[in-house]
Amino acid sequence: MIAKPPSRAALLGTSAASVVLFLVVWEACCRAGLVDPIFLPPPSAVLAKALQMMGEGTLLGNVLASARRVMMGFLAATAIAIPLGIMLGTSTYARAAFDPILSFLRPLPSMSWIPLSLLWFGITETQKYSIVFMGTFAPALVYVIEATRNIDPLLIRAAQNLGASRWQVMKEVILPGSLAQILSGLKVILGLAWTCVISAELVAAREGLGFLIMNGKEFFQTEVVVLGMVLISITVLLTDFVFRLIENRVLRWQR
Amino acid sequence: MNQTGKTMISIQGISKHYGDFKALEHVDLEIEKGEFVVLLGASGCGKSTLLNLVTGFDRPTGGRIVVNGREVNKVDPHCGMVFQQYALFPWLTVIDNVAFGLKMKGIAKAERLEVAQRYIEMVGLRGFEQKFPSALSGGMRQRVSIARVLANDPDVILLDEPFAALDAMTRQVLQDELLQIYEKSKKTIIFITHSIDEALLLSTRMLIMSARPGRVVMDIHNDLPLPRNAEVQLSPRYNELKSQIWGTVQSEVMRSLQASSH
Repeated sequence: MIAKPPSRAALLGTSAASVVLFLVVWEACCRAGLVDPIFLPPPSAVLAKALQMMGEGTLLGNVLASARRVMMGFLAATAIAIPLGIMLGTSTYARAAFDPILSFLRPLPSMSWIPLSLLWFGITETQKYSIVFMGTFAPALVYVIEATRNIDPLLIRAAQNLGASRWQVMKEVILPGSLAQILSGLKVILGLAWTCVISAELVAAREGLGFLIMNGKEFFQTEVVVLGMVLISITVLLTDFVFRLIENRVLRWQR
Repeated sequence: MNQTGKTMISIQGISKHYGDFKALEHVDLEIEKGEFVVLLGASGCGKSTLLNLVTGFDRPTGGRIVVNGREVNKVDPHCGMVFQQYALFPWLTVIDNVAFGLKMKGIAKAERLEVAQRYIEMVGLRGFEQKFPSALSGGMRQRVSIARVLANDPDVILLDEPFAALDAMTRQVLQDELLQIYEKSKKTIIFITHSIDEALLLSTRMLIMSARPGRVVMDIHNDLPLPRNAEVQLSPRYNELKSQIWGTVQSEVMRSLQASSH
């Protein structure tokens, strides 16, 4: 006898039950005094703090500050990485010229740019954008180059045969043809952008989710620290969801 | 029947070598406007190499090719290519695929869609304009590919084993359609195949190629009456031509088998 595959509702129910169980055990441990609330506050305290901050209007402001920094840095990086990557992916000479620089930039973690960026821009918004940019540009470029190399060369031939110029081949064939792979790469990069902005805010910022966490720690408000972490998670999940919607829209032809 | 006596393609002393391998050696060929030329030969005889030189995808080692008075020195949209693997753009709908060449020429959207629509109807794909290639069968994809080349209005249409990946029934339907398109459009066509039947059914002229080195060993005028359909295969003249070609092809195949076993 073959077991029936579980229904979607049953699987969703299992997931929901798991979350509830996790929160209940956490709450119970705190209430029973097994954990000092200074080290780990109960979920109810985190929720209470969230509601209080929402009432004061400070919660959304911090989320938006971080989200704006992520978007600015990420969009700037992709706006340059996509055309440059397509160029490098199609021209062997440009590739040879750019490869050493890229190999040097790639291993540098975004954190290592923080001292220089502070020196150049001070504790400003530009400094946050630059950290996100430096942390995401090189990997985004690598993804784009890789994606353009997987294009079927026959499609490029067909386009040339139909009269496409070099520029038209890039715009009408290589870009749309590698878009699926570029987007799936950018999804990973977007996660990376969040890591960059949080590290930048942990070091020096006046608002944002990283600042919220660091500030909470300074004042021994552990529930603020945990709240900041939860908010980072939720925001990343949300942006990922939005990204998926865009991806489905753009890649209609794949279904 | 469409010939006008005007030379469309002039292949002059063309050679193509890959190191020591002579894919083509001193090929001379004149193709008139309106001819339907089938290049026939076993794999590896340089048929595709020759086509790639005519389109400009490859450069010859020696010699020159002139198409409609212009020497080929780059990829030339005047020679439209239909590929065996269709080579449709999977992210474009049928109509946008067909209109691609016109878009490259900078023709306004309304006009190019109108032209594309006409050719989509010519290949019998009305109602499929907004489908993506992934939703089509192999035969339909090859129809799109033919419409795409026709819409670009080239001087010459080149087809590299276009029906080889299709099942026998679909192939026969598409052969008939291609003949009708040929008779209507009066285009000059070069068609590659290794099927003698396909060559006899479609061509007005057959060129049989041999390998090592690649060259043309036989040039036959196909005098079977046009318009043709599958019934022509029952006529005595058909069988006469077929056995004549088979004699040459067979000895060439035997020769190349012996050469490769040494």
